[in-house]
Amino acid sequence: MLEAIENSAYAVWVRESPSIFAYTTILSLHAIGLAIIVGIHTLIALRLLGFVKEIPLQPLRKLFPWMYLGFTINLFSGTSLFVANLSNDLGNWLFIAKLVFILFAMINLELTKIHVFDRPGPLAADGLPKNSRVYASAALVLWGLAMVAGRFTAYPNFVEAWLGF
Amino acid sequence: MEAISDFLITLPIGDFVATHDWVWPFCETLHFVGMCTLLGTVGVVDLRILGVAKGIPIKLLEKFIPLGVIAFLVNMVTGFIFIAGNPVGGPMEYLTNLSLQLKMLIVVIAGINLLIFYVRGINRSLESVPADGDAPRGAKVVAVVSIAAWIMVIIMGRFIMYNDTLLYALGL
Repeated sequence: MLEAIENSAYAVWVRESPSIFAYTTILSLHAIGLAIIVGIHTLIALRLLGFVKEIPLQPLRKLFPWMYLGFTINLFSGTSLFVANLSNDLGNWLFIAKLVFILFAMINLELTKIHVFDRPGPLAADGLPKNSRVYASAALVLWGLAMVAGRFTAYPNFVEAWLGF
Repeated sequence: MEAISDFLITLPIGDFVATHDWVWPFCETLHFVGMCTLLGTVGVVDLRILGVAKGIPIKLLEKFIPLGVIAFLVNMVTGFIFIAGNPVGGPMEYLTNLSLQLKMLIVVIAGINLLIFYVRGINRSLESVPADGDAPRGAKVVAVVSIAAWIMVIIMGRFIMYNDTLLYALGL
């Protein structure tokens, strides 16, 4: 099953085609999607943590579709890179850790949307919906961990040596 | 290029990278964090100038730009470490890399674009734009160039390690 996916025409094309639109472009798309979703979420999180407090919260809600665009780009590009490298990725615990951090980061993104932007409820003393700072801090920590794990996916031996595995 | 490379080799960066295996991946991660921060600050200002998320006063959003500048400096420093400290091919491998050369060229274009934004008074023209208002055409041109340039910088950055596919596509 795994081999069939890894040897499918699409996986082979992504991995082995010398075309500029294969591996390199898909990898570039993955960086662009990352910059879009994490960049925008960082800005929103900083605002919720008190950076440039004068910015009204409500219009920031309009940036969510752009974050979903970034996520969609990375779901597509990430799946493409994943099937091209299937057995390697599945055997790499840093890659699995990255997926877990992304899952939590996306759940946090949805909770931020529901509880901070779509259902403001009573405002706290600082003029923010309840728990805004918790969601914002979680966003910075989770995206940070996802990026660290993602980058170190390329260096599993280093990490295992440092951790004494 | 050789003169630059010879100078970079005299710096202690290469030795430091070679003897500390965490430096390279650590700087790579910082380079990605810087990229996200730059796009999340400058890129969002550009989007608002183009009419996305009206209701956010552009002037207030511009307060995030210093953070984008810090992110850019982080990426200048980490990028410099990659070139000066390249453990395998040395600085020449990067300095002669077409993808990196194009990336640097586009960074310069983005810089000139930012200079135009301030020198031509486009930033001041935005001060009077209401929270729900449209930015002047000149500002929109700068915003389009900015977004296009930074996306191309990301793409060319990713191409550095796969420079062959670029050369192949260009028939070189």
